[in-house]
Amino acid sequence: MKLVIGQGSCGIAAGAGKLYDALAPLLANSSTELGITGCIGMCWLEPIVDLYDGSELKARFVQVKPEDAEAIAKAAETGDLSGVQNLIITEDDAAFLEKQTRIALRNCGIIDPNSIESAVAAGGYGAISHILKDGVTPEDVIDCIKVSGLAGRGGAGFPTWFKWNAARQSKGDRKYLICNADEGDPGAFMDRAVIESDPHTLIEGMLIGAYAIGAQEAIVYVRAEYPLAIKRLTAAIEQAEAAGYIGDNILGSGFSCKFRIKAGAGAFVCGEETALIESLQGERGMPRLKPPFPAEAGYWHEPSNINNVETYANVPWILANGGEAFAAMGTPDSKGTKVFALTGKIRRGGLVEIPMGKTLRDVIFDIGGGIREDKAFKAVQMGGPSGGCIPASLLDTIIDYKTLSATGAIMGSGGMVVMDETTCMVAMAKFFLDFTAKESCGKCVHCRIGTKRMQEILSRIVDGKGQAGDVELLEELCEAIKDGALCGLGQTAPNPVLTAIRYFRDEFDAHIRDHKCPAGACSALLRYTIDPEQCKGCTLCAKKCPVNAISGSVKAPHVIDSDVCIRCGQCKSVCRFHAISVG
Amino acid sequence: MKCECNQKPSDMTLLEPILAEYAEIPGSLITILQHAQEIYGYLPTDVIYRIAERTGNTPAKVMGVATFYTQFRFQPIGKYLILLCDGTACHVNGSARVARAIQEELNIESGGTSADGLFSLSIVACLGCCSLSPVMMINEDTYGNLTPAKAVEILRSIREKEGKAE
Amino acid sequence: MPQITITINGKQCQCEQGATILQAAKANGIEIPNLCNDESVKVYGACGLCAVEVVDDGKGRALPKLMRACSAKAMDGYVIRFDTERVLQSRKIALELLMSDHTGDCQGPCRMNCPAGTDCQGYVKKIANGDYHGAVELIKEKLPLPASIGRVCPHPCEEQCRRGLVEAPLSIAFLKAFAADKDLAADTYRAVCEADTGKHVAIVGGGPAGLTAAYFLRRKGHAVTVFDSAQKMGGMLRYGIPAYRLPKTVLDREIDEIAATGVTLKNNITLGKDITLDQLRADYDAVIVATGAWSAMSMRCKGEALEGVVGGIDFLHDISSGEGTAPDLTGKTVAVCGGGNTAMDACRTAIRCGAKDVYVIYRRTRDEMPAEDIEITESIEEGVTYKFLTNPAEILGVDGKVKQIKLQIMELGEPDASGRRSPIPVEGKFETIDVDLVIMAIGQVLNPAGLDGITLTRKGTIEADENSFLTNLPNVYAIGDATNRGAGIAIAAIGEANRCADVVDSALKGELKPYRKPFLSTKTVTAEDLADRPKQNRVQMPTRPAEVRRHDFDEVNLGLTDEMAQQEAKRCLECGCHDYDDCKLIRYANWQPITPERLAGVRNVHETERRLVAIERNNGKCILCGLCVRVCDEVAKQGILGLVGRGFTTVVKPEFQNPETIAVCKNCHACVDACPTGALKFLGNE
Repeated sequence: MKLVIGQGSCGIAAGAGKLYDALAPLLANSSTELGITGCIGMCWLEPIVDLYDGSELKARFVQVKPEDAEAIAKAAETGDLSGVQNLIITEDDAAFLEKQTRIALRNCGIIDPNSIESAVAAGGYGAISHILKDGVTPEDVIDCIKVSGLAGRGGAGFPTWFKWNAARQSKGDRKYLICNADEGDPGAFMDRAVIESDPHTLIEGMLIGAYAIGAQEAIVYVRAEYPLAIKRLTAAIEQAEAAGYIGDNILGSGFSCKFRIKAGAGAFVCGEETALIESLQGERGMPRLKPPFPAEAGYWHEPSNINNVETYANVPWILANGGEAFAAMGTPDSKGTKVFALTGKIRRGGLVEIPMGKTLRDVIFDIGGGIREDKAFKAVQMGGPSGGCIPASLLDTIIDYKTLSATGAIMGSGGMVVMDETTCMVAMAKFFLDFTAKESCGKCVHCRIGTKRMQEILSRIVDGKGQAGDVELLEELCEAIKDGALCGLGQTAPNPVLTAIRYFRDEFDAHIRDHKCPAGACSALLRYTIDPEQCKGCTLCAKKCPVNAISGSVKAPHVIDSDVCIRCGQCKSVCRFHAISVG
Repeated sequence: MKCECNQKPSDMTLLEPILAEYAEIPGSLITILQHAQEIYGYLPTDVIYRIAERTGNTPAKVMGVATFYTQFRFQPIGKYLILLCDGTACHVNGSARVARAIQEELNIESGGTSADGLFSLSIVACLGCCSLSPVMMINEDTYGNLTPAKAVEILRSIREKEGKAE
Repeated sequence: MPQITITINGKQCQCEQGATILQAAKANGIEIPNLCNDESVKVYGACGLCAVEVVDDGKGRALPKLMRACSAKAMDGYVIRFDTERVLQSRKIALELLMSDHTGDCQGPCRMNCPAGTDCQGYVKKIANGDYHGAVELIKEKLPLPASIGRVCPHPCEEQCRRGLVEAPLSIAFLKAFAADKDLAADTYRAVCEADTGKHVAIVGGGPAGLTAAYFLRRKGHAVTVFDSAQKMGGMLRYGIPAYRLPKTVLDREIDEIAATGVTLKNNITLGKDITLDQLRADYDAVIVATGAWSAMSMRCKGEALEGVVGGIDFLHDISSGEGTAPDLTGKTVAVCGGGNTAMDACRTAIRCGAKDVYVIYRRTRDEMPAEDIEITESIEEGVTYKFLTNPAEILGVDGKVKQIKLQIMELGEPDASGRRSPIPVEGKFETIDVDLVIMAIGQVLNPAGLDGITLTRKGTIEADENSFLTNLPNVYAIGDATNRGAGIAIAAIGEANRCADVVDSALKGELKPYRKPFLSTKTVTAEDLADRPKQNRVQMPTRPAEVRRHDFDEVNLGLTDEMAQQEAKRCLECGCHDYDDCKLIRYANWQPITPERLAGVRNVHETERRLVAIERNNGKCILCGLCVRVCDEVAKQGILGLVGRGFTTVVKPEFQNPETIAVCKNCHACVDACPTGALKFLGNE
């Protein structure tokens, strides 16, 4: 028997580390092994402990607390699960995984990310070994990727084979293969999960790419905010080197490739490939003009190929199973699967990998279980600061690149943030512009000043100081910034605003014209009032009010001075008589 | 080289191994700065000048690179660096209220350091732990499903631990 | 290099293969706007002004994205436009965004407030340096009568002068007169006229407006004839302004200079009598009506028809046209009604004619008087008595001749539309004074004789378009006191004349381009901002003593000495941007109308600083094109300047915190030369 604890960042944050510490001494002298794995993807159930008999999953315990350790250890020892029934995952929750098709995440939550043996046992390095040993040419590899229809999973959806081929065809002394793991979209954590849970698949995918384009060096650019991912990837690279998968004359094939990790230093714009290259070269991460594209003149102005983590993670599977197998999944426009990080007001939040062509409803309701607390679904945000909000009315939209783009949002890298009736869409638009304005590199005028002005206009709208014509002004700025900004960050920055206006124009009008926030979220527009019929004059609210905005005598109805009130909501939360309303 | 600030000169021997390893490798400026920050906790002016000198860059160039990235700091920070996530998921799930509670508890704004020098607060874009939102990291540890009260409680327990340690 | 063919804005161009669109355009004499590009450094692509649309890639397809001309290569067969609606909109937003965070004064408030836009700061600086000839050359770009106008102008420039926030405004008008006098006395500047165009322009009216229009049209190479009904040219300057303020010899000299450019001056010709508008229209390519406003306005009180009641302008005109023979008012009592400059001229003239008592009847108080304060002071010195808060109720006469004037006593009520407190009659309170002469100086109106067929406004002035100056009649323009709002100050009429000359010139060259008010960047400055400026007192114009000057028509002012003028000129704070004439940003900002106010928001605030000793840096004007940083790095190989920070608050800084930075700067000023705006200023290698 073996107990395996999910130890991705979220699992650890939820207490998986303490749980491990609690279980380890209990199993010290037992026949039951204790191991770890990465992220299973059912984040709402963390910490998760799996009980294996050999390779068979016997039971999955969820939301396990350190005090449950003893019962679990005992169950593992005895094989008697009667004492831990309350910890076993429900069928409904288990369906979350069963409804998925996992390619990029195939080993996540199954293998031990710290062990190359574990990865190899799951088929790791099989594809690259076959390529190098059986005389598969780089052209064959590119062809296989072309047949698979794999497109860049970072957001833009550009055909991977085309980039590889361009880099292969380009002349240069050295070539570089780069992995963009600067996962910066707020609300996205697919790449972190892959690196933390299955680093060898990323390494193998990159090796195949490096072989295909003829690169002698592979670099992973990882966010500095992902310390665990960096740690596990560093260890994995060392293991792979020791095992002969990385370095000179790999597996005796004559193909050589070095690996290196470069930690980002905190700049969202470095997710843009030319800015990423500048950053790799130790410069300010300001985008370059394209053309020339990196395939022609990238890192140190040599031919370079850049893909994101998920893209590379698909590659070994495609090479192992054939391009056709991958292409068999999805839609005519978009092949294969896509990983989403499902978060927000969703009941079951986590990592979801599904074939292209499923609907948003499939993901949000069928897999994600719908909205928490049975509130009304309002919209889903896709593509982060470059994407947009898709409203409830478009819930049956099919997930493929073209269809999603038609909504004004984009596929994006996979962030899917679900919003309910209490989310103000104007405030969301402002949230994204706050982000983009802060992350603008400052190089081009349209983005540097344009996003700042958009953010200011949105701020005044949520503060109830919007003016007639503001929405039109925003639209005008949006169009100009889309047209005039230098890089993808700027060109897509207007998307969250444009979709918000397109689908929720009435909310903008309510803020501007009526000084009302229909979602009740914009504090400047809220008004707390005490119902004199309900108020018993207990004085609790007046005591709790941090700014002394509430007055009234004991046993007499109290009154809130709206000019003083800071809308913190303290009074409402402490009132035992439901006398305080907000609107 | 002199500098205007009244900082004590930094101990350059600590930096030397890093410079020896990376100074000659093109494009290593950010890596060097990251190591320097790990050593000193921030990037003191004299360290920046030394890095410029050894990497063949002008100080203006090094400063330009360092100020571009949010990771780099130019003032000492507290013993505990709080990274409070304000990513989309955290934002939707109330990170603003958590931020307010922390700011009130420590009496600092984002970017500031508490009077006792124990905590620095930085509100960041996304820590990638969206399913546990709202989330904060304190040094290497991640704390999820925060409420204002829970966040304050965590800070107080750290403060208590530190008080005992002294 | 092989040549390729492309089309830019409809013009076929040849260029070398591999050239960028911007280079191709430049090689073919086409200017595509750009701010961050410089051939000496690598392409950067920040400003976005060079956006172009490739409407056909040579294969019949339009490229979907706007291209940056600085980086996009020209390809054979490309059809490129940078005048499409999409390109113009993109550039407009870029410029509006840039301007919304560009803090500085293109022009000093003096120049901004001058109705003729004379470059006050520019000529004051030249005067400070002793370059009087250069100063006049600069003035005469806007104004051909500086010696005259410098004497009589109510100088709106000085009202806004920021020296006023420190202690007192610069004496800009007198400096102008000073320089012009110097210039007239020796080595007189004379404009060079362009080659003759063969076009003929008739100007009716030889006052400041007519003469100015004539001067500038002549400079453009057109033949110009000015007709005037008076014996001599000069209009109001000659017949409305007394000689003690503007000696006729000065005016004569300046008119001679205008005539010397080749303008034909014809006096004693009255429109409607000696010539008709129809005839002028038939004989000339364009006609400008600048006849002025010469009829004194009625006060609408009883007794106006009595002998001894005259209009202010008529009183002044008769004296001036009488070649110095003034009426003898010895022992007489004169009442002048009105509070403007004509009233001042009339009352001070009456004193000079020997009047015993001269009263100025004004219905409000001194604070509200439109006349210049110095005029009031000097008139009091000369013996004029002010009857404030009085208004003529009736002029009483005996045998048809003026005997007395009955004045209604007034008090001040609420402020009216002009912001001044309006006078209200105090019921039943009157005062009566004995008078021999009543001068009505409350304003002038147009005499419409000879203007048959021209549409007038409800006020009785000529209706002329504010920007094209066209009347309802084709090729007939109108300017000055005769038009729209009616009588104003001379410099305003001169400004209109100058702008009208450009419009007429454009029309004569084939396409009428109406005047468009240029967009200019401005900033707000308060007294606090200037608190650190040492106080330097304004140089006072020396005048002849009142008891002497009140007896003659010689000039009151004695004029400034060289030392006084230079001392005064050096007080200038130089508010306007040193780079205004070379600034690419402001030039492009005026290629198309922009309204940055709609995008107003937070601005980055920066102090001017001189850490690089020879170079003054003003980041408020910086547009972050990065040229200085790149030039310092790539061309000068110094790398002293760097971009610091990120996003909206990015700022250009020299090596930070290091006081020794100055030592490493070689003062090569390559950065200053590259700066497309006035953010950097080279102070010289001292």
